[in-house]
Amino acid sequence: MSEQEWLEKLEQYAEDTLPLQDRTELQWRLNNDEVFSQKAKEHLDFLKTLKAFDERKKLKTELEGYHRSMTSEPATHEAPQKETKQIGAWKKYWPMTAVAASVALISTFTTLYLTQSLEKDQKAYYKELGRRVEQIKKSQSRILADIAESKEKATPPSPVPANYMGTGFLISPNGYVATSYHIIKDADSVYIENKRFGSLKVSVLISDPGKDVSILKIENDLFKPLTSLPYTILASESSLGEEVFTLGFPREDIVFGEGSISASTGYKQDSAAYQISVPVNPGNSGGPLFNSKGDVVGIISGLQTETSGTAFATKSSVLLQTVKEVPDSVSTSMKLPLNNSLKNLTRVQQLGKWKDYVFMIRVYSDPSKN
Amino acid sequence: MYHFDELIVSELRKKNRDVLRELYKTHFPMIESMVCLNSGTVQEAKDVYQDAVIAFHERVQDPDFVLSCKIKTYLYAVSRRLWLKRLNEKKRFYGKIEETETFLEIESEMTDIEEKEQSFQHLAIALDELGEPCRSILEGFYFNGQTMDQIRDKFGYTNTDNAKNQKYKCLQRLKKLFFSSNNKNHE
Repeated sequence: MSEQEWLEKLEQYAEDTLPLQDRTELQWRLNNDEVFSQKAKEHLDFLKTLKAFDERKKLKTELEGYHRSMTSEPATHEAPQKETKQIGAWKKYWPMTAVAASVALISTFTTLYLTQSLEKDQKAYYKELGRRVEQIKKSQSRILADIAESKEKATPPSPVPANYMGTGFLISPNGYVATSYHIIKDADSVYIENKRFGSLKVSVLISDPGKDVSILKIENDLFKPLTSLPYTILASESSLGEEVFTLGFPREDIVFGEGSISASTGYKQDSAAYQISVPVNPGNSGGPLFNSKGDVVGIISGLQTETSGTAFATKSSVLLQTVKEVPDSVSTSMKLPLNNSLKNLTRVQQLGKWKDYVFMIRVYSDPSKN
Repeated sequence: MYHFDELIVSELRKKNRDVLRELYKTHFPMIESMVCLNSGTVQEAKDVYQDAVIAFHERVQDPDFVLSCKIKTYLYAVSRRLWLKRLNEKKRFYGKIEETETFLEIESEMTDIEEKEQSFQHLAIALDELGEPCRSILEGFYFNGQTMDQIRDKFGYTNTDNAKNQKYKCLQRLKKLFFSSNNKNHE
């Protein structure tokens, strides 16, 4: 039998139309003739590509059809005449041209609008992410009711609901918490709260308004110092594109966000911050930004208002500098974590551990002062 | 996990064209705005979107395929990558398109799509180089389901065996053209 006949049989075999007797013969050769079986495989693969090629072409024509029907163009007549081709093409494409033109128009006006508002108000560009409860009181009256309710049970009863909220996290096993300065700047008293530790009173130990970093100390006697923290605070700079994550309290529940480092400088080329592509909301401020190993690389600070999805985080190296400025008497008792026990865990396991060390920060201040 | 999407997948496997059409219409506006907001035109949006839909449709035909993300996510992530690649080729773009949605296997998916695209391009070139009547014979038999007897009559062969011989020679030549251009590219 010639090669040609064998391959013909092979094609029938692939389509399941080969008579039984021939099939056994072919199978025998496939099993015993290695050169042939190699060739057969190549042949069938090629036929598959050929078939797929054809199917793709047909699918493409079909999609074109859907598209035309979508842009409200009646189906073009089959086999258009050569002479009418140009007019046909114009007819076929005018809805798209119209759409393209209107898109161009809209984007022109949007650009005009944006550039104008840019000149008007540079301030609108950067927004701190603390959560002013008053502003959202109407939409979230239920949450406030919750706060009031929990106040009744809380150990240190407070006369007014917190009027500013943010996020913070432990940086030392013996009760030091890092957060953003802008959250606690007008505070009379500050409480932190999470599921594991409940509500604890803290005092503001040191603040650095320029870097937007503050360190708080847990005052409550109920807090027993931990033996260690499972993560460390990186002194080195993270690289562009590194995956980063955050946990924070944009609402009453802890919320996870992920993204990557988009730039190694922050708002207006601020070298003390990163630009990140993590979705953040008011209330995320002060939250930890950590890398895939679970180590702290930054603190969420703010976002750029005109471009969606652009947020900023203060670098962890800046946080460490601030820690160094803590007065000596205190810093002797402040232990920074040295070992990371999270790096080999999956993300979900890491988050499970991490969330114990992230706190919601409630800031109470005298409303008459504002 | 994605109950409704899985229903769509099972219909696409049955080659249900109505479902495909609805799927196509549903997600086009999303890709259109993504491309148009990132220095593209509606026409270009259509091109990348169709490529993504085709890739998805082909992927679904694989019996081992399991849906690991929403169809919408797949279409968005693949379209986004295809568009970035095209922008890169045109050197028209220096920014970044926000990656709002993606899925785990996107990298291998993109390599796969690219390889397929290349091999189809080579096949198209090979078919063009093949010339007539070879091309029509092969297209008739393999694409349009004509029998060898029909082909014999259409091309005026004296008997079916002659037609088969001719088809065999044509296919061998096409293979040779295809693999030589494929190899050239890999070197």
